[in-house]
Amino acid sequence: MNLKTSFPKGVQSSEVLFSLPYDLNDRAQPVSGHLCVTDSEILVYLNNELKSRYYIDDFSEFKCEQLVGSSMMIGELKSGESIAFCIFRQQEFLRYAELCKLLDYYARTGRLITETPEDEPCCPKCGMPLEGAKECPFCANKTGLFIKLIKRVKPYRKYFIIALICTVFEQILWLIVPNITRMIIDDYVTPKNTDWVGFFVLCGLLVGLAALSCIPNSMNMRCSFKVALNMGKDLREDVFAKSERMSLSAVTKKTAGELIRRVSGDAAKLESFVTEKGKDFVVQAISLIALMAILFVMNWKLALLTVVPIPFVFLLTKKLFHTMAVRYTRVWRNMTDHDSVLHDILNGVRVVKAYGTEVQEIQKYTGYSLKAARACVRAEIVWYLTIPFAEFVMTVGNYLVLLFGGRLILDGGMKLGELVQFTTYVAMLYDPIRWFIHIPKEFSDAAVSASKVFEVLEDESSLKEAENAVESEISGEIELKNVYFGYREYAPVLKDITMKINKGEMIGIVGHSGVGKSTLINLILRLYDVTDGQILIDGRDIRSYAQKSLRSQIGVVLQETFLFDGSVLDNICYAKPDATFEEVVRAAKIANAHDFVTKLPDGYNTRVGNKGYQLSGGERQRIAIARAIIHDPKIIILDEATASLDTETEKQIQEALGRLTEGRTTIAIAHRLSTLSGADRLAVLDKGKLAEFDTHDNLMRKHGVYYGLVMAQRRTTKMRGQKQAAEV
Amino acid sequence: MSINEESFAADKLNILDCGRLKFTKEKSGFMTLETDGKTYNKVNLTRLQPFYEKTRFISVNYENDEKEFIEIGVIRDMKELSDGQFEVVNDFLEYKYYMPLITKICSIKENMRGSLFVKAVTTAGDKTICIRDWYRNFKLIGGKYLYVCDVEGNKYYCDDVEMRLDKKSLAAMEMFT
Ligand SMILES: Nc1ncnc2c1ncn2[C@@H]1O[C@H](COP(=O)(O)OP(=O)(O)OP(=O)(O)O)[C@@H](O)[C@H]1O
Ligand SMILES: [Mg+2]
Repeated sequence: MNLKTSFPKGVQSSEVLFSLPYDLNDRAQPVSGHLCVTDSEILVYLNNELKSRYYIDDFSEFKCEQLVGSSMMIGELKSGESIAFCIFRQQEFLRYAELCKLLDYYARTGRLITETPEDEPCCPKCGMPLEGAKECPFCANKTGLFIKLIKRVKPYRKYFIIALICTVFEQILWLIVPNITRMIIDDYVTPKNTDWVGFFVLCGLLVGLAALSCIPNSMNMRCSFKVALNMGKDLREDVFAKSERMSLSAVTKKTAGELIRRVSGDAAKLESFVTEKGKDFVVQAISLIALMAILFVMNWKLALLTVVPIPFVFLLTKKLFHTMAVRYTRVWRNMTDHDSVLHDILNGVRVVKAYGTEVQEIQKYTGYSLKAARACVRAEIVWYLTIPFAEFVMTVGNYLVLLFGGRLILDGGMKLGELVQFTTYVAMLYDPIRWFIHIPKEFSDAAVSASKVFEVLEDESSLKEAENAVESEISGEIELKNVYFGYREYAPVLKDITMKINKGEMIGIVGHSGVGKSTLINLILRLYDVTDGQILIDGRDIRSYAQKSLRSQIGVVLQETFLFDGSVLDNICYAKPDATFEEVVRAAKIANAHDFVTKLPDGYNTRVGNKGYQLSGGERQRIAIARAIIHDPKIIILDEATASLDTETEKQIQEALGRLTEGRTTIAIAHRLSTLSGADRLAVLDKGKLAEFDTHDNLMRKHGVYYGLVMAQRRTTKMRGQKQAAEV
Repeated sequence: MSINEESFAADKLNILDCGRLKFTKEKSGFMTLETDGKTYNKVNLTRLQPFYEKTRFISVNYENDEKEFIEIGVIRDMKELSDGQFEVVNDFLEYKYYMPLITKICSIKENMRGSLFVKAVTTAGDKTICIRDWYRNFKLIGGKYLYVCDVEGNKYYCDDVEMRLDKKSLAAMEMFT
């Protein structure tokens, strides 16, 4: 990171090793200042004048304190006093954090690293590091959205082309019709010609043409339908697959309702748009040009009259496009909010019932529903207020033609049949024009959906699979080396964790709530990548394993038990769909689930839909344990897996697990410390760091953090016991 | 002591008597608090409702040597502080929660990747604010309070969009809120 971004005026840059700007004073007023570091001093400048001077050697520690809207760089003097050097806004935070790291390293080791690696290339728009990408994945502007959409038709281009040809053919048929009408009028009706044969032939031709057009029409519909359905299916599947594959951190940023809308709503909209409008576009453009050509050839003066109002109409609709896009985005937002709320309320229906807040929730939902409806109305209303007017302006040309054409006939310059043919063509011309007038509406609506769909499709946040990811059997040795991790890079949850878990060991992780226990196992599962440091499994970086291969060898019971809609059997088989029934029962027995499942009326076929609410919390947990062990994982992770169970049942499961886990690495998290009595070693997390890592006995002897936890728990249990005794 | 008293003593909101507080600025950027003959160093102040109440319900807390969070109490309303004290406390809060006010929105552009580029006039000057995941980081809370957090972590706000922003800004914003 470049730590020499800006110098105070007139300061020699060769002595100054680092120089960063700061922009706030301690009264929250914007200022222009600099913090410079030489090989022995820290100099603070304000408005290019030296304000204070500190000696680096006087300090024992440097750190960056992140506040809410700003951050401070703080140094801890050896005397214990702290000094805030400067205050700056968050955009400088990462640089100051890096500087503090370097200075801190100096304070600890006496070596000052002055060479910092060059700045990583940054996105010119948002200023964030590009991380190897050519273009910032967040800021790259995505043009050619519709080209990309049309490309998706490719697999079905055969049908698409057939549909296209059929439509063009049909159009040509209709183009012949006015010609025949003219012949009927000019050759038979006006001169009162009684050559019935010719007359009937022409009439027959008219009917024949209409009948003939049915064939391409039906072919067209069949093919269009095929393309539409297939493309919609593809889009839906792709969006869904992609949203499943996105990294956990990207997915959790979107609500379930929002994703559902993208998978079903938006994909469906695009499906109809591309096939209908995409094909029509070609056809309508062709017929527009063809009709114009015919009109100009027939009578260019009259033709000019018809096209006079058209530019105005197009100007108007072009203006409308933007307005419509804004309004449709709003509709989309409101619809998404509506979906999210619906999803949320329905999922939380037990909480709603428990609190008796049905009416409140109904009102909340009605509010969102109303808002969505209003947004729709507001979007459409603009359209319906302007379009009739636009269409009227457009047809003004028609009246002009009638007026001047009529005079031409009266003056003998034109035959009636010709005028009828001409006006029929004009009327036909309005079809494609009307179509083009309406396109902004459809287009802006589809554009909103397209952008939402492609936002998901082109998300690049998924954890990168190594280039030649290995798929190998693991034996279960886990090693963490100086692991740092934070959900946000600058707010570390885990700091400098180093530990080695041997194959077949059972490790308990303990620590206060929120200390980062679940986070640690998220890292071992590689749901997130470490910020710094390394996690090795069998001596190999977990980033070099194929994700699927890695996770298929780990069995995990997460803190929140989630059961899918399906039978008990389906849920247990989840990690190993081809498991035999015996295997399922074995897993259930180990998890102590077999007995209660047997008592259920439908046995293993009992449906446990809707997250398994028909089951008790402990029953659900036991099914989750069965699910975690059925595929014979090499590593078993239990995050509060037995927290909802009574100690008796817990003990039974533990014994069964103990038999199973021989030779397997087990990592268990529990607040109830007795749960971890079987653990070989205990890792005690404290304030994000690994405070202690040893056997229970050693830790008790040490009288450290773990000892404190155990004593605190014993006291409360004892107190409770005494109280109960007193009450009895 | 009955079990109730014992376990519920902790849940009383300890409202501080502003007359007995004496805050002084520390070199560490935090405060020193002297109250009832006790002195606390490196005291941190926190707005409990940063969106709505800037000078009311301020939590006064510090971290002890074990890095445990300890709340001394809550200032119900900073108006009860004497003038000099108000200033000291307010200065700290102002830079801790430093957030330029958005006074005008010139234009908002969205790309198809969930990023927004907001050209705005703020009390810290003209800015193009780049926002990622704008569904979360560009929000109108309660129909009034505009909350903006840009890609670098800088925050911006507008406490009452209807009152503070002109028609054009509101129109530019309409699509995204
Ligand atoms: N997805 C997330 N995004 C941002 N922060 C998170 C996320 N998940 C957890 N955190 C934060 O990370 C910290 C550690 O959380 P973690 O779930 O690892 O705690 P824990 O030790 O498992 O606690 P508990 O014993 O209560 O389960 C917490 O402060 C939490 O607020
Ligand atoms: Mg947890």
